[in-house]
Amino acid sequence: MAEAGRVSIRLPSSIKAGDVIRVRTLVIHPMEIVQRDKQGKIIARNYSFILSMSAAFNGKEVFRTELTQGISQNPSITFPLKADKPGKLTVTFADTMGKTFEGSAEIKFV
Amino acid sequence: MNEGNARRSFLKLTGGLVAGLTLADYSILSRQAAAQTSAPGLPLPDEPVEATLKRLFGNRTPQRGDDKIKLELPQIAEDGGNVAMTIDSSLPVSGASQVSNIYILSDKNRRPLIAKFSFTPESGRAFVATSIRLATTTDVRAIVEMNDGALYAVSKHVRVTISGCDLPPQS
Repeated sequence: MAEAGRVSIRLPSSIKAGDVIRVRTLVIHPMEIVQRDKQGKIIARNYSFILSMSAAFNGKEVFRTELTQGISQNPSITFPLKADKPGKLTVTFADTMGKTFEGSAEIKFV
Repeated sequence: MNEGNARRSFLKLTGGLVAGLTLADYSILSRQAAAQTSAPGLPLPDEPVEATLKRLFGNRTPQRGDDKIKLELPQIAEDGGNVAMTIDSSLPVSGASQVSNIYILSDKNRRPLIAKFSFTPESGRAFVATSIRLATTTDVRAIVEMNDGALYAVSKHVRVTISGCDLPPQS
């Protein structure tokens, strides 16, 4: 996957101050599932999948998740945010290979 | 973990390559810790759902939360590798009694705990949507944990046509 690690964030088209909005985030990631050998035994190795995701609004953590291999490939997570002031929303995903993937979006009112 | 155990597992980990190093070497311990944290994707042993519930909540039993939590899942999932799921709760995320975490568990998955979502007062609402993998036809539970330790659970039965865990990884 050439674009592995790309993070996209989708916000509602118009946000009013005080709205509780739904922020849709997506990261391109294989989310490997455990593989078994011919005997059906699980092959022990460090599988590559997203372990955690956190969202910060103006530098303050507002939402966090701990994920496992039970989440689908290219994980998409939609979380709520109380948009009471404009600012910068950053979303960070971390995988088992020690890599982090980050995306950000500006919350503005119309 | 005591020093002896740490050293033993470290030796196992590196196949005895560092057998020549002296005992109680501080760097061995720190490097062993580093090796452990750099491989968090190692498969954990299979776990029945009762054991997962015990591990997460101890002896606390969740109350039925059907009037407080809405769990949306398809009745029949054709592809167990990608099942859309939505949890929406009317329970507050701010104030004296607030939602701190929501857990999703699939009873028949090898490791039942799928994800844990943690909310803050800035979240505004206890809502989350994602897509999950289901190994087979199973009950899926959403368990809401309040900051005072109270638990509310809802569950839904999902029929899975193709397992989400036997598919070869796609590239």
